[in-house]
Amino acid sequence: MSTIFLVDMDAFFVSVEELYDPSLKGKPVVVGGELEWREGRWVAPRGVAAAASYAARRYGIHSAMPLAQALRLCPQAVFLPGHHDRYREHSEKIQEIFGSFTPRFEMVSVDEGYLDMTGTERLWGQPLKAAALLHERVRCQTGLPCSIGVAGSRLVAKVACELAKPNGVLAVVPGQEARLLAPLPVRRIPGIGKTTEKRLRQLGVKTVADLAAIGGGMLEEVFGASGAAMFRKTAGEDAGGWYDTAVGEAEDAKSISHETTFDIDTADGQKLQATLSELSQMVAHRLREQNFFARTVTLKLRYSDFRTITRAQTLPAPTDLDGDLFRTAMALFTAHWNGSAVRLVGVRASGLERRPGQMDLLDGERRQKWHKALEAADRVRGRFGFDAVQLAGGMAGSRKPKSTTGEE
Amino acid sequence: MGTLAKSMSQMEFTVNQADLVKELGLSQGVVEKKTTIPILSNVLIEARGEAIELTSTDLEIGVRSACPAKVSAEGSVTVPAKKLLDYVRLLESGEVTVRLQENFWVQITAKRARTRMVGMSRENFPVLPQMPDVVAHLGAGMLLDMIGKVIFAVSSEESRYTLNGALLVVRPDSVIMVATDGHRLAYVEAPYQAGVSSEVRALVGKKAMGELIRLLSQQEDPNSILDFGRDESHLFFRTGGRLLISRLLSGQFPNYEAVIPKENNRVVVLDRDAVAGALRRVSQFADERSHAVKLQLATGELKVSSSSSESGESEETLEAQYEGDAVQVGFNSQYLLDFLAAMGTGPVRLEFKDEQSAGQLCPAGADAPQYRYIVMPMRI
Repeated sequence: MSTIFLVDMDAFFVSVEELYDPSLKGKPVVVGGELEWREGRWVAPRGVAAAASYAARRYGIHSAMPLAQALRLCPQAVFLPGHHDRYREHSEKIQEIFGSFTPRFEMVSVDEGYLDMTGTERLWGQPLKAAALLHERVRCQTGLPCSIGVAGSRLVAKVACELAKPNGVLAVVPGQEARLLAPLPVRRIPGIGKTTEKRLRQLGVKTVADLAAIGGGMLEEVFGASGAAMFRKTAGEDAGGWYDTAVGEAEDAKSISHETTFDIDTADGQKLQATLSELSQMVAHRLREQNFFARTVTLKLRYSDFRTITRAQTLPAPTDLDGDLFRTAMALFTAHWNGSAVRLVGVRASGLERRPGQMDLLDGERRQKWHKALEAADRVRGRFGFDAVQLAGGMAGSRKPKSTTGEE
Repeated sequence: MGTLAKSMSQMEFTVNQADLVKELGLSQGVVEKKTTIPILSNVLIEARGEAIELTSTDLEIGVRSACPAKVSAEGSVTVPAKKLLDYVRLLESGEVTVRLQENFWVQITAKRARTRMVGMSRENFPVLPQMPDVVAHLGAGMLLDMIGKVIFAVSSEESRYTLNGALLVVRPDSVIMVATDGHRLAYVEAPYQAGVSSEVRALVGKKAMGELIRLLSQQEDPNSILDFGRDESHLFFRTGGRLLISRLLSGQFPNYEAVIPKENNRVVVLDRDAVAGALRRVSQFADERSHAVKLQLATGELKVSSSSSESGESEETLEAQYEGDAVQVGFNSQYLLDFLAAMGTGPVRLEFKDEQSAGQLCPAGADAPQYRYIVMPMRI
């Protein structure tokens, strides 16, 4: 039986800001951008909230919400641009504390990490006691609040942590996992998103108990392998995808992506194409930098009405070339763009492989030439910044909207 | 009596159990196992004259064959192909009588066994095209051998649809087959007079190739002839009363002549079994996904080695008559083993240039048909 902790910082960005400006405490605070005074009133910049304080959440504000909407919900909220260097610094402090408790920990984001505490009872005592100690140490050494979920699996630890928030510790006694999960809505199960929730609702499934009652066979028939994993999750087991790996095992990135929000929504096909070209180049650049090859390219489009689509295509062979990513992203764009104004575009590379691997017989020479050219470009970028070299198609791009809109 | 006469007149015939099993066996690879169109799981049975014709299709390929029968009432019906074969195969040898009854019930009687199967009207069964004029006559044994030598190199990657089949080239005095998946290419050529005056090219899909193997390996006479024909959208292969129809793959097959290496001057000849054995053993410790092994050719030896962070490492050295420059190249061991299995026993010739360029393998025996295999290396 494993003992897993999930430690998640409470409203991390906001909590860090409060350290520097204690007057923010208790106020509705939104991190993501500063308001601008325009034509006699405060206007929110474009973009979304990176974090919201608990006071702000009471107004219905949550992270990933457009700032304009947050401003409408709570006009008196404090809007901050955010200090990512501060967040990184505090994240490192937290990681240090995690490392002092167990060598087997894995950060899943800047403010959230799994700790495998199996077999540490002699050192730290019973799990709940150890968790309380960790909670206290994080508070003392960083001044930041966090919540901790303790369970026999990562999945249940995650759910327990959500239930413990804010500033709490919740340990699930072994054997009680299914009972804890049963009354919760299915969305609480990691891996069940909006789409799956919708399909489950059509089957009459609302709670985890409903899900368990359907049975693994049926779920597998409807959802395939992910359905079988879903069923195992209802019993609190780690199943499916990332949950099949042990803590600390999956250290490599799972995907690399870049996206951009336009200053003004655009339905200009050429401009969108140019932006996709630039984003593809940025993603490919990072693939090469980290020595990865990607198998799958995903295009993300968000329309003016916030309807967001993502469409993916798997390549015949893994690649780290700008051109391959761009062609695939462009093919997806051509096939799926409905012609209306776009607010945000993104390009993501996933299915990452370390091995450069198999060379190509049919267009090998072309690829090799590209490789040499791009390596040279990367060297120039290393010295003079990403924008020093561009593929022709990306020149008209508008990743940095402010500089390009001025010319148009 | 009147109703009985009417039901009798729908279709009735008697066949030999063994004959029926043999012909139904041909349909099994064609019928869709998981289809959204139920009738494609069925075989069409048509009783006419002194035979029954069996047709099955998945819309991509179709097979039609015949079987002698005593037809007492002409007619047709479709029945689930797998269920019919599974059942008929279990019957004792001897005569089997099939009778179509009302509502497409199909009655099967054999000795004391009696069964009624649920059939379907032929109305919704796709109509397959008729064999057009014969374009070329090909040796059945030769074609079977050629398909076996290239089929493993056909790509299964659906996005590369022009590589989802092999290119068949029929020339006045030779027949060529080529297949590639973009990483390796298998090429086989045999001298043959197929009766064409100018070159004929066709892309044969992988599934059709598989069915051709099934069809051709049932021919007892290795010298039998296969008639090849085509219309705008189909290829036709007919042999011994059986017809295979395949939808023509569209698209341009890559220019294979351009990838055949010309400067591979580091050459070594080794016994196939020795190389295959070493590769099989060493590859146990290759990375599980890439199957990467390293081949190092140096004076007097070829060393095969592998290593994987998960399982360990392994190497083996083969004695070789080689005096040239040392060279080392990484390959997917599975790609090499595929060829070694297909080439048959005897010496194999390995030709390399450097670690960035395609290697070439071919049988070293003089009497072998022109058979070559080109593999791109792996970076390791």
